[in-house]
Amino acid sequence: MQARLLHFPSLLLSYIQKGCFMNGTIKTILILLFCFWAFMVPPVLVKAGVVISDETQQCLVCHAKHGLTKVFENNKSIEAYVDAGEFRASVHKELKCSECHTDFSGEKHPKRRFRNSEQYKIQAALACKRCHTNEQLKTKSIHAAVLDDEKGSHTCTNCHGSHSIKSVSKKTYKSEEQHCLKCHGQEFSVEFKNGEKLSLKVEMPMLQASVHKKLSCSDCHFGFSQAQHPQRNFRSRRDFFIAGSETCRRCHFDKYTKSMEGIHYAKLSQGNLDAPVCTDCHGSHTVVRFGSNRTLIAQRCGKCHPQTFDIYAKSAHGNALFDEHNQDVPVCIDCHTAHNIENPLSLDYREKIPDLCSNCHANKAIMGKYGLSTDVVKSYLSDFHGVTLSFYRKQREKSDKPSRLIAVCTDCHGTHSIISARNIAPALVKANLVKRCQVCHKDAAGNFPDTWLSHYEPTLTSAPLVFIISLIYKIFTPILAIGIILQIMLHIWRYAVNR
Amino acid sequence: MAHEKIRRFSNWRIVEHWMLLLTFGVLVITGLSQKFYTIDISQWIIFHLGGIDRARLIHRCTGVIFSLITVAHILAGITGIALKKWPPSMFINKEDISDLIHNIRYYLGMEKSPAVFGRYNYRQKFEYWGVLHSGVLMMFTGLILWFPALITRFLPGEVIPAAKALHTNQAFLMFLIIALWHIYNSIFSPEVFPLDTSIFTGCISRERMIHEHPVELESIEGGPRERVVHEYQEAGTGS
Repeated sequence: MQARLLHFPSLLLSYIQKGCFMNGTIKTILILLFCFWAFMVPPVLVKAGVVISDETQQCLVCHAKHGLTKVFENNKSIEAYVDAGEFRASVHKELKCSECHTDFSGEKHPKRRFRNSEQYKIQAALACKRCHTNEQLKTKSIHAAVLDDEKGSHTCTNCHGSHSIKSVSKKTYKSEEQHCLKCHGQEFSVEFKNGEKLSLKVEMPMLQASVHKKLSCSDCHFGFSQAQHPQRNFRSRRDFFIAGSETCRRCHFDKYTKSMEGIHYAKLSQGNLDAPVCTDCHGSHTVVRFGSNRTLIAQRCGKCHPQTFDIYAKSAHGNALFDEHNQDVPVCIDCHTAHNIENPLSLDYREKIPDLCSNCHANKAIMGKYGLSTDVVKSYLSDFHGVTLSFYRKQREKSDKPSRLIAVCTDCHGTHSIISARNIAPALVKANLVKRCQVCHKDAAGNFPDTWLSHYEPTLTSAPLVFIISLIYKIFTPILAIGIILQIMLHIWRYAVNR
Repeated sequence: MAHEKIRRFSNWRIVEHWMLLLTFGVLVITGLSQKFYTIDISQWIIFHLGGIDRARLIHRCTGVIFSLITVAHILAGITGIALKKWPPSMFINKEDISDLIHNIRYYLGMEKSPAVFGRYNYRQKFEYWGVLHSGVLMMFTGLILWFPALITRFLPGEVIPAAKALHTNQAFLMFLIIALWHIYNSIFSPEVFPLDTSIFTGCISRERMIHEHPVELESIEGGPRERVVHEYQEAGTGS
């Protein structure tokens, strides 16, 4: 092997010795070349003892050096450099240069013109097809997808490289990501059975910005690896995404099980393929942490619930969120939860509403900032509606089924449309309230809303009658009780003394 | 003579008391468990009555019966007194106040003997009027709370929470009077323990009459007042 490898310098030497067709200058060049070979090339070529054809060696004389460039018509250029070491390690190491670069040989070196590097690459890659026929290539699914894609400008060398081409099974990359992005960094798409297409290009910057940046591709794309690339057929784009989101549960099992209790999953399992799966809200390669970005959460929900989103955006809560970037106000998931989303039209959910509101409205730390009363929930719960509701909820637990609807917070305040009552004329509030009261209390008249003391403890000014009555009893009841007890005790004492 | 029974209450009064006892009991149980709805025992009661709606229905129906009894009692009382068939023995008069002061002085050892009473003593009158005026109040406030929408057609809205405050507080007051005062006087008081049976049997022993209602006994027996009072004082301080 060694002897054959060193064939090139001996050839040079014989040329130099013969000197038959040389003048002095050429001879000097040849001697210099020999010196270069003696000191530079052998460490590269001889290293593992790889056979390289004579022709290749001849070409490498020039092309193994940096500095040669090919200039295209658009004035861009590429280097006509071949890394001898990489070529030595490639699967094509035994091929002659002219077997791919067909127009070239030791004698011929035609000048050709290309518009740009793309055109050049496409032209050059045609050589591949001379050995690797389309039929042969299509036996691999990945090639089939690429070859059938008419729009994509896929060249073999984009994925496989040119002079450094390696056997796929033996090829190693520094990371799996590099391996996958070799192809998936390119623009190409897959076609589903129903004709829909999906770009399979993965945007690297997005991937780097995602919370999953430290994961490898196969951590999510289960079943795929540097060795395996199974072919999967999906009916539609949607099927593909639904199947793809199944991988999330492998790490986020808690969220997955929660979502199985949710209405989205229920809709999906009823056959509504539009029901969102993990990736619809979280994204796939672009998974970001919602964290403090509560605006983003509302917007994500708004993608599918635009009408509700619009109403919310105009409400007191939505206004504060979008205009003031207020982080105290509830976004969708604070009431609906993120994963185990209940059907908000169910009776169970309805009866939980006072709890949901009280999460914030009974919290002094939050309400204090806005000068809002924290008694709202307490005053609701201690009045007729609240008492009835709390009993209904407990009765339901005991499998009793009271079906009557009881007014909860949202019935008077609205749900997504909640607005502050501060800037509205009291008369208007009252007029609106009457209408709401009449939904249940059919014979309610204009005075009826006044029966409700508006979440405030009665005071001498707000509700004098109630205040005075309560005050009198607060004083009188203990006095009476103490008086009676004293009488009884005196009576017993006297009786005991008399005995 | 000692075991002689004296008729104290008519059959109607016995029935009236029974009805009052039952309706009041039911109203207290269903009412207070709504007032103190957070307490476990209240919730237990309401669940065992079949839920809050059932408890309210029972409370209202019983309230209607209670109201009928009260109204009948008032009408009968007014008629009886107006036609001079019944003596106005339940009316509060000056003697009741002086009797109260006298008795407190007696309990404190400042008088030798307790006050002497007629048909009803001040304690009984206090209970009676307490229950009667509460009953009337409960009737009206209860009706207001039952038909809030109708009431607010004619009256301002604040009437409803005011009625609620009255109803609930007065109920509790009435409950206290009965639970402390009446139950003590008719069950736990050493003089009647284990139970003052006169409202159930309609009869009372002459001995107790001497103790508790000497003035009435005197008028029943028509004898000179001094004799009975003397008899009473002897008996009262002796035993």
